[in-house]
Amino acid sequence: MTAVSAVAPRVTPLARERADRIFDLACLWIPAAALLLFFVYPIGMMGYRSLLLPDGSLGFGNFSQIIGSRSFLRALVNSLTMGLATTAVTVALGLLLAFALHRCRLWLRIVLLGAISLPVIAPSLVQGLGLIFLLGRNGLINKTFGLQVEIYGFWGLLIANSLYALPQAAMIIGAALRNADARLFEAAEVMGATGWRRFIDLTLPNIRFGLLSATFVVFTVTITDFGNAAVIGGDYTVLAIEIYNQVIGQMNLNLGAVVGMLLLLPTVLAFYFERLATQRQFGTQSEAAVPYRPGHDPWRDGIIGTLAWLVALAPVTVVGVVVYASFMRLWPYRLDFTLRHYDIKLAGGYDPLWISIGISAAAAGFGTIFLLFLGVALKRLGGPAARAIYFVSMLPAAVPGLVLGLAYVFAFNQPGTPLILLYGSAALLAMCNFYHYHTQGFATMTTGLRQIPPALEEAATCIGASAWAVLRDVYIPYTLPTLISVFFFLFMSSMVTLSAVIFLVTPNLMLAAVTVMRLDEGGYTAQAAAFSTAIMLVVTAALLLARGTLWLAQRRIRLSAEA
Amino acid sequence: MHLAIEQVAKSFGSVVALDNVSLGVDTGEFVCLLGPSGCGKTTLLRIIAGLLTMDSGRLTLAGRDLTQVPARLRGFGIVFQSYSLFPNMSVAANIGYGLKLRGTPTADIAKRVNDLLALIKLPQIADRYPWELSGGQQQRVALARAIAADPALLLLDEPLSALDAKVRAELREEIRDLQRRLGIPTVMVTHDQEEALTLADRIVCMSRGRIEQAGTPADLYARPTTRFVADFMGVSNLIEPSRLSALLPQLMQDYPGGDQLLCLRPEHLAVRPGTLGKVMSTTFLGNITRLKLDTPLGMLVAELPGQADFAPGDGIDIAPDPARGAWVAA
Ligand SMILES: Nc1ncnc2c1ncn2[C@@H]1O[C@H](COP(=O)(O)OP(=O)(O)O)[C@@H](O)[C@H]1O
Ligand SMILES: [Mg+2]
Repeated sequence: MTAVSAVAPRVTPLARERADRIFDLACLWIPAAALLLFFVYPIGMMGYRSLLLPDGSLGFGNFSQIIGSRSFLRALVNSLTMGLATTAVTVALGLLLAFALHRCRLWLRIVLLGAISLPVIAPSLVQGLGLIFLLGRNGLINKTFGLQVEIYGFWGLLIANSLYALPQAAMIIGAALRNADARLFEAAEVMGATGWRRFIDLTLPNIRFGLLSATFVVFTVTITDFGNAAVIGGDYTVLAIEIYNQVIGQMNLNLGAVVGMLLLLPTVLAFYFERLATQRQFGTQSEAAVPYRPGHDPWRDGIIGTLAWLVALAPVTVVGVVVYASFMRLWPYRLDFTLRHYDIKLAGGYDPLWISIGISAAAAGFGTIFLLFLGVALKRLGGPAARAIYFVSMLPAAVPGLVLGLAYVFAFNQPGTPLILLYGSAALLAMCNFYHYHTQGFATMTTGLRQIPPALEEAATCIGASAWAVLRDVYIPYTLPTLISVFFFLFMSSMVTLSAVIFLVTPNLMLAAVTVMRLDEGGYTAQAAAFSTAIMLVVTAALLLARGTLWLAQRRIRLSAEA
Repeated sequence: MHLAIEQVAKSFGSVVALDNVSLGVDTGEFVCLLGPSGCGKTTLLRIIAGLLTMDSGRLTLAGRDLTQVPARLRGFGIVFQSYSLFPNMSVAANIGYGLKLRGTPTADIAKRVNDLLALIKLPQIADRYPWELSGGQQQRVALARAIAADPALLLLDEPLSALDAKVRAELREEIRDLQRRLGIPTVMVTHDQEEALTLADRIVCMSRGRIEQAGTPADLYARPTTRFVADFMGVSNLIEPSRLSALLPQLMQDYPGGDQLLCLRPEHLAVRPGTLGKVMSTTFLGNITRLKLDTPLGMLVAELPGQADFAPGDGIDIAPDPARGAWVAA
């Protein structure tokens, strides 16, 4: 680029160049400053608080004190047991589903994909809610067959967590499976390897990082998830609940800080392995790789396909029963259609839903603009500062929502600092949601920006376009599909998340997912189901809107490319 | 006949990839499938390997029908264009994989792997992993892996085209030596006529899913039977009989009649000073000089050994040897 502008006539006056530079720097530093304030600072504050002793000195006293406490130990052991059990179940089933999706020829593959992705559009406690409708004391199964199955506790939570984490596991393992080079399998086949041997000798070793990454992600999601534990955990107390009770119930902030720091450990490892997995995937060594296309194999497709459909039936049933029960007069006794559960007067009626939509839209809108600016600035500017900011931008994925929410309490609930003004405000909730999902949005954005042909930007600059004009005329039109994806991703994630915002809501500023939990706690399960259904409706509408606008945007780009 | 291919046909939707192809491979023979991209070479090779099913036709190996035999039970070896070594296995494990599948004792596998590594002249790399090897080394290992279990047939799909020119020439020599020494019947796919000329006992020239001509390299070069083969196997001058009978009637002796052209290779034109036409341009290529000639027969290309005494504008005659010409179908 420098070579080109050196020989091109200087159409840009000096003042313009300075304006461009200021624009670039603003693009970089405004989002970077926000990243510092709303991500780095809270985590730092939490770390500081975990080390701050009652006498004002710093040390590990809090850690030893808490690790010695009986209730903490019990919650820790429960959480670890639950984490390991859920991980074992979910990774095995995730491998099955991913294998079915990417290595088999299935009938209605896309429907299977949709079925197992279903939990993504629902707040995390919907799995628990659905299980209670099916298997609870007043559940369909117990009433129909006169049984006494007890679902609250370990088993219920295990099933709910597995259902919740399954789409993520299947996605991560699927990404590892998808990159296979067909030639490797053909070579093995010609050498005499059966399908089973190819799976053991080639498939498994080559997705080991994907499996490892899925293991850590599922483990983390499980031990930090709040919603299902609250709904179906019963007496089986896990860390997430223990923290919530200690911090919000008893204002025991030290414990919160210490546990928050401890919970960062597995996720930092998970984060590391996930990066390793994306770098070392199958077949990356050869550009001439031929993508694997499963051939016809009735035995493999029959067996794996049937098992996969059986597994996929679970999320469909559990989410479906919530929707179904929300329309029934008195579950499971009087199954006639009614809309009366949707007439919610408690807890502010539908206000929380509207507040959630507003906050999610704000998080998505703000977030998309910030990420665009940040991505463009990092693309145009180099240097150590830019590299450091890039690195920090990738970090929020390593911080579970529960920990981020806690960290916000330490950073913003500080009387005597100006930051207290933000505490309890909608703006803070929006920022919390945005930074909770910052990494995924940032990764999508940088991938999208990378696809802009560099020649286009150079050409625009050489004919004298200002930095702002390049942004408006080159970046935004070309990354429109990316912008749409990022916006709706942030919106939908914000709509269903519970674990971060649970620490920040106030009675006047209630969010939809929290309302579902409150309704359920109050015994209004039918209303909780109705409210969940309303949330899923909003998220589904957003999903359809995203698909529609993406289609339009891509068509526009295609048309302009043909013209 | 070791391997016999009879009337094999294959279509992908409306694309006819193979149109009733028949072909045999003898014991110890090296056969090259040669043709432009998309003519069906890979499709034929994959059908032989059992990686693709044919729509109709028959495939037999030493008299045994292969149609119902899956790829893994055919006992063949295969090498692809891209380096298809198993990334999770060391070089030794890659080479020994086929033997391991057959339940060969570990000590025997280790010995065989060592022998093969010596054979491909890479004795030191047993414990390395594929990503630590250069392209040429990877392809040698792939070759060793393909022959490790004494295959009944060796299949090579453009094994050299991903390599750079120097490595390609080296490996070409080695493939030939190895194949001759071990006597494994081999089918290799290539689109490079030079590769086919140097390697093959027999070249099968394909075009649009059909076999145009099959024969020894010398046969195909000296006596192409179709215009396609004449063009594909090096440079050729194709002359219409109507022009020949007036100007060079002695070349019409063997004219079989019908829609045929006379193919004359550039080195057989025998150019000398004269009045028939004139030199348009000369290009010195080191060992030969290439002349472009404008004659009443059309534009011709001639090649003379060493540095030729012609300059653009010089008048010339040509006196081709009638025995060197070949009549090809237009
Ligand atoms: N799996 C496939 N699906 C559809 N068409 C194919 C497939 N494989 C090959 N073809 C078509 O069959 C023809 C022959 O292909 P191929 O055998 O790969 O040619 P070659 O190896 O000679 O370049 C081409 O027109 C190609 O597009
Ligand atoms: Mg090919």
